[in-house]
Amino acid sequence: MKKSKINLYLLEFSINALLRAKAKNISILLIFTLLVALLSSIFFISNSIRYELNSVVDTLPEIIIQKVKGGREYDIEIDRVDDIIAINGVKSVIARVWGYYYFANAGVNFSIIGINQYEEQYKSSLERLTNRVDFDTLEANSSMLVGIGVRDIMKRNYYNRYFNFIKPNGKLKKMTIAGVFRDDILLESNDIILMSQRDAREILGISPSMATDIVVKVANPKEVSTIAEKIKFIYPDTRVVTKDDLKISYRNIFDYKSGLFLALFTISLFTFFMIVYDKSSGLNSQEKQEIGVLRAVGWSIDDILKEKFYEAFIISFISYLLGVILALFYVYILNAPLLRYIFEGYSKLKTPFELPFILDIETLAIIFFLSVPIYIGATIIPAWRASSLDVDEVIR
Amino acid sequence: MIILKDIVKEYDNIIALKDINLKIDSGELVILKGVSGSGKSTILSLIAGINRPTLGEVIVDNRRVSKLQDRFASLYRRESIGFIFQKYNLIPNLTVSDNILTPLIPINLREDEVRERLDKVLKEFNILDKRDIVVKNLSGGEQQRVAIARAFINNPKIIIADEPTANLDEVLSMSFIDIVKNLKDNKKIIIIATHDPIFFDLDIVDRLIEIKNGKIL
Ligand SMILES: Nc1ncnc2c1ncn2[C@@H]1O[C@H](COP(=O)(O)OP(=O)(O)OP(=O)(O)O)[C@@H](O)[C@H]1O
Ligand SMILES: [Mg+2]
Repeated sequence: MKKSKINLYLLEFSINALLRAKAKNISILLIFTLLVALLSSIFFISNSIRYELNSVVDTLPEIIIQKVKGGREYDIEIDRVDDIIAINGVKSVIARVWGYYYFANAGVNFSIIGINQYEEQYKSSLERLTNRVDFDTLEANSSMLVGIGVRDIMKRNYYNRYFNFIKPNGKLKKMTIAGVFRDDILLESNDIILMSQRDAREILGISPSMATDIVVKVANPKEVSTIAEKIKFIYPDTRVVTKDDLKISYRNIFDYKSGLFLALFTISLFTFFMIVYDKSSGLNSQEKQEIGVLRAVGWSIDDILKEKFYEAFIISFISYLLGVILALFYVYILNAPLLRYIFEGYSKLKTPFELPFILDIETLAIIFFLSVPIYIGATIIPAWRASSLDVDEVIR
Repeated sequence: MIILKDIVKEYDNIIALKDINLKIDSGELVILKGVSGSGKSTILSLIAGINRPTLGEVIVDNRRVSKLQDRFASLYRRESIGFIFQKYNLIPNLTVSDNILTPLIPINLREDEVRERLDKVLKEFNILDKRDIVVKNLSGGEQQRVAIARAFINNPKIIIADEPTANLDEVLSMSFIDIVKNLKDNKKIIIIATHDPIFFDLDIVDRLIEIKNGKIL
């Protein structure tokens, strides 16, 4: 009488049992779906942000030189480039012209980057971009390229084709929008405005002999710290920041965020276990009675547990699927309103960015194992307890 | 053949049964009578394998029912026992058909076989027209017939009924007795626990066993 094939009558009975307690099971399904969605959203958002931060870190220059006086940063003389390039092991040196422009109407900062056609760019994504753009016209027409976030904010403030910058001397500088670019590294490029160095200097108030900072590329990564020391020796009035320093501070931002992330995570798990506890603390008398009846008419404990397993699996797996889909929609289509701000510490002064779509099996598996088996366990354990009792004790 | 050997059953501090020795042969119709609390139901549940004695043994067709593992005990209940419970013990929000079919679910029979058996008991106990009605909407007599149909779906050798007429009026009680009369021809063992006098002088009854304070008189 051994049967290996799946017992469809049992499965049908389980589905029927779920439908019989419709109100209860629909509310469990809803709560469970929301919890899975919350959990998944937290995972998705933090994965996306981590991916972005890692991407940003990867594109950082090996050494950045800033001029510092009294703890504050000042523009740095461009002619220092010549001394630095003479240091052994230095591959290239670029004086950057960039800065933040505070757009008061929207309450956000844009990053203005001034580019020079004949200069090498300090990172490859910019290099790719500048190769595609005709800089003569950009410079000749006082026009600019803007990131998507910048475009959206300008549009919202009725700047569709141009934007009026206020120069340090209070006069307006009208720049036309020549195009919009979209980089694969969104967090970084979203708030960027590219324009000629000449225009950037005008808007940011940087004189032609000065730069915002100087970045250095080094041929051999092992020499970075020695070269940094040499630069510091030649120019004691500078702060020399290496990529490793930056990496640490970036990671600190993220660690601080993952602390918050953990807090949220705990809260949702807690709620989750509350439900689980509630379930495992007992079956109602009608459910117990039913188990007793089934046992009395010849179901084994195994049969009861199988039936409960089907019930729990159906409900938790549907919730899992719905929850993940809901989270995907919430995070990647709606861009995670509310939740995302908990993760971006600096969001207030940043232009909004889109979360890059990252979905890996590992995350899906973690979410699965944090939800489905726990619920199944919470359903089966009390059923097991009830079915291990003497049958006539349950049905008398 | 059913043998109860030196049975003692205790619940916590209550001694429900003591020194029970009983033999029931195939084809016998046995009535257990006794006042409330005398231990009738307890004997029935020991025979049906839904409870175990504290001491002693229940042996049915050479199987030591009281010592079986859960897997075999449930198999025994399913194959050998048709139990009509005092309170029917139907699942109230399942339909008549679904209730009757519950003992068949673990067996995983072919669908045509399931349908055939179901139709047979539905007709036999006159509830064919009620097959899709949810049980809690049925009258007491109808519910009892569903309970009987469920007890018969596996064509068991032993039929056990606990106070089958307690909730029935006289007409329905008589129709239950008709059902029992029909069964009597089938060589089944029938055990009925009752204090309803209408069973006491039926000519189909082979033995009347009186229980008092957990003992056979
Ligand atoms: N699960 C149980 N836990 C505790 N005591 C029990 C249990 N089952 C039965 N008893 C006790 O055992 C004794 C016999 O009970 P049983 O149900 O067998 O009597 P009965 O003859 O069937 O009575 P009735 O006519 O009222 O159905 C009673 O005193 C009852 O209270
Ligand atoms: Mg009783």
